[in-house]
Amino acid sequence: MKRLFTLLIVLGLAFSVSAAWAQDTLVYGTTDKVTQMDVAGAYDFHTWEIFQNVGSGLMQYTPGTTNLVPALATGYTVNAAGDEYTFKLRKGVKFSNGTPFTASVVKWSIDRVAKLNGDPAALVTQYVKSVDVVDDYTVKFVLKGPLSYLPALVATPTYFPMDPSVYPEDKIVQDVGELNGGEIVALGPYRLTSFKRDEEAVFEANPNYWGKEPGIQKIIIRYFADATTMRLALEKGEIDLAFKTLNPSDIADLTKGGKYNAVKIPGPQIRYLCFETSESVFKDKKLRQAVSALINRSEINQKVYLGQNAPLYSMIPMGMSYHTEDFKTALGDGNVALAEKILKGLGYSKAKPFTFDLWYTPSHYGDPEVNMAEVMKAQMEKSSLVKVNLKSAEWATYKQQWNNKQMPVFFLGWYPDYIDPDDYTSPFAQTEGSKGMGIFFSSKAWDDLFIQEQQTTKDAVRNSTFAKIQKMWTDEVPTVPIFQGNLYIFSKKNVSGVKIGPTLIFNYDQLKFTK
Amino acid sequence: MRHLASYVLTRFLLAIPMVFIMLTIIFVVLRIMPGDPVSAMLGDRAPLRVINEKKHTLGLDKPIAAQYVDYLGQLVRLDLGDSMIFKQKVSQPIIEKLPATIELTLFGLLASLAIGVPLGAAAARRRRSGGDFGIRLYANVVYCIPVFWLGLLFQLVFGVLLGWFPISGRTSPRLEASTFSWSGFYIVDTLKIGNLAAFGDVMWHLVLPALTLGVVLSGIFVRLTRANMLDVLKSDYILAARARGVPERRVVYNHGLRNALIPIVTMLGLQFSLLLAGAILTESTFSWPGMGRLLVERIYLRDYPVIQGVIVVYTLLVSVMSLLVDLLYAAIDPRVKY
Repeated sequence: MKRLFTLLIVLGLAFSVSAAWAQDTLVYGTTDKVTQMDVAGAYDFHTWEIFQNVGSGLMQYTPGTTNLVPALATGYTVNAAGDEYTFKLRKGVKFSNGTPFTASVVKWSIDRVAKLNGDPAALVTQYVKSVDVVDDYTVKFVLKGPLSYLPALVATPTYFPMDPSVYPEDKIVQDVGELNGGEIVALGPYRLTSFKRDEEAVFEANPNYWGKEPGIQKIIIRYFADATTMRLALEKGEIDLAFKTLNPSDIADLTKGGKYNAVKIPGPQIRYLCFETSESVFKDKKLRQAVSALINRSEINQKVYLGQNAPLYSMIPMGMSYHTEDFKTALGDGNVALAEKILKGLGYSKAKPFTFDLWYTPSHYGDPEVNMAEVMKAQMEKSSLVKVNLKSAEWATYKQQWNNKQMPVFFLGWYPDYIDPDDYTSPFAQTEGSKGMGIFFSSKAWDDLFIQEQQTTKDAVRNSTFAKIQKMWTDEVPTVPIFQGNLYIFSKKNVSGVKIGPTLIFNYDQLKFTK
Repeated sequence: MRHLASYVLTRFLLAIPMVFIMLTIIFVVLRIMPGDPVSAMLGDRAPLRVINEKKHTLGLDKPIAAQYVDYLGQLVRLDLGDSMIFKQKVSQPIIEKLPATIELTLFGLLASLAIGVPLGAAAARRRRSGGDFGIRLYANVVYCIPVFWLGLLFQLVFGVLLGWFPISGRTSPRLEASTFSWSGFYIVDTLKIGNLAAFGDVMWHLVLPALTLGVVLSGIFVRLTRANMLDVLKSDYILAARARGVPERRVVYNHGLRNALIPIVTMLGLQFSLLLAGAILTESTFSWPGMGRLLVERIYLRDYPVIQGVIVVYTLLVSVMSLLVDLLYAAIDPRVKY
């Protein structure tokens, strides 16, 4: 036994010493999961992150910013009606297996996404009538109507060109092994050379990449079952970098002492409270206003998230065009006096308090969710006219219940599909989108406003429309914004180049070892 | 030999209703629980119409009895069905994850025996001494400790503070498991390619998770070994050995322990199901990519076919293990005949 133990120690040490010299490889830990290894099926941040590193779009964001710049396209023109975009493509670009990149590849890839009708297909089918090949290096998008944010859409992986000789035309690929050749061939800075679900993904620099060579030749993603183990793995040195999603207490501990590089990302993720507005007790907008006034965002941020997020007073996040602070001025923060005035006006009293169920889901948004629900219940019950029953359900049940109008008020969170204020507003208050979110808000006046901002490319028109929408939001209150989530990346001191902007795109090619 | 073959066959046949009962319970419980895989898989944004279409495609809008008949029809063709979330055969993730779970439970079992049996024997030898009291206290304490808590403690102490052992996964990330993964049993795979460093790394990663499982289960073996040893040590043949002047250590460990082990072998079979249950939590704590982690993740996603498939495999594993234990029992105890 002793001998075996000694042998293990020697072998283990030998291996760790040899691994310490491998400075061309970075190990990145995450608790995220890969869904489908196909842009026609994937509709989640982590799988998109992988495609953003192995693929390229016609347009892309400058790392760490919201500036859209041409990537596989060299530029584009829009017709006067705003419903036709023509992109000129970069010449001489090849996939990592040598397949040339042309306009036909772009058309094939986008047609395939639409035809396979996977989860993200609506990002294409809702807007694009056809993709036409003008010549080998020119492609034209004919749209169903004028659209201001097509350049942002073509920067999403759903629009990324995929090699027709590798991806099957008639089915969505689940795992890399189903691809012709068994490997995702790349147009981006890396190629994915191996993938074991829930264990690891290995990326190696793409020798045919059209852009600048990555700073680190090999990136390995290690998948963790929980945040605590990931934090310990960083402290132990098993991983070089940890991202998504650490617990608030882990973030606070890792920030102390300066042992790690900490990058705080003002994320595009927002958290908010949704009301079922068609049949529940919250059919009356006055009750929605009262409940909204009782929420104290700063207290939630301090008590639950240890000050790591930012209170939010509009559904459009801070840092994005057209953001206002209307909720702060109209309904306030922890404004018990205003809430009680509204509730008394509706006939509620200490003897007959306004009673409702507040729902949360305990694991989907991480461990702090239950704490947020408890703090919010306490905030609301600061008014003796309110009585809150906290209820919870796991995600699958939760989703079913909001579809069935079984939850009068409940917490949700949002990561955008594309970086535009439209994606933070219309899904919640435009008739069709609102149904899917369990809000069931419907108003012709609101729908018209959304169509107006979606169809115009004029900044002044969009500015005034969104200003109006945000003001109306504090009156109708279909949802209440609570906070804008910051994300944190921790890395060893010798890792630099972490640039993640509000788009949340993590470009691995920017990473470098400094020593 | 003919009797043994018919015994084995009977046991296999008896396993079929066991699997059937387990499956029926799981099948019904999953479907009467609130929530469904479609809502979980389509995320926040899918319209109700799309959700209903998907439910129809997956057959989830049929009555439970009809779904059950369909499922049994698949099972008799030895088809566990397709995952509702990842659209792959259920057998695919199970085949990928099963070796990791078997490696972990096997080493967990070895660790529990390696700790529990000698401690139990030592406690019996020094009955009512301070050592005996300490060992019994240990047995009670470790049996009460939640396995995930002990795992976290080991990670902190032996992983982070002392830095002796890795705290997550089956290998170091830089080893790139996909380069040698063949059978999924990394111990075998690394030896097959003759990579001793990789073998050491794999064994090194097994230490903390196996020890966590082993320590928690060792409590039972301590108590059991001690109780059996106390009975055995009162036997006439032990008295005779002592009278012949055989040294006490030899009396206890060579003559006594060997006979006290027989009921422990029976216990092994019963403990195996506990070990699998413990492995579910241990796999989550140590990010061990096995069936337990798969089960937990798919329960959250309500991926019915995968959950059912994992339960079938767990039930079969327990059946096979208890059969092996019964056969072993016959091999070591000449009084038992089949």
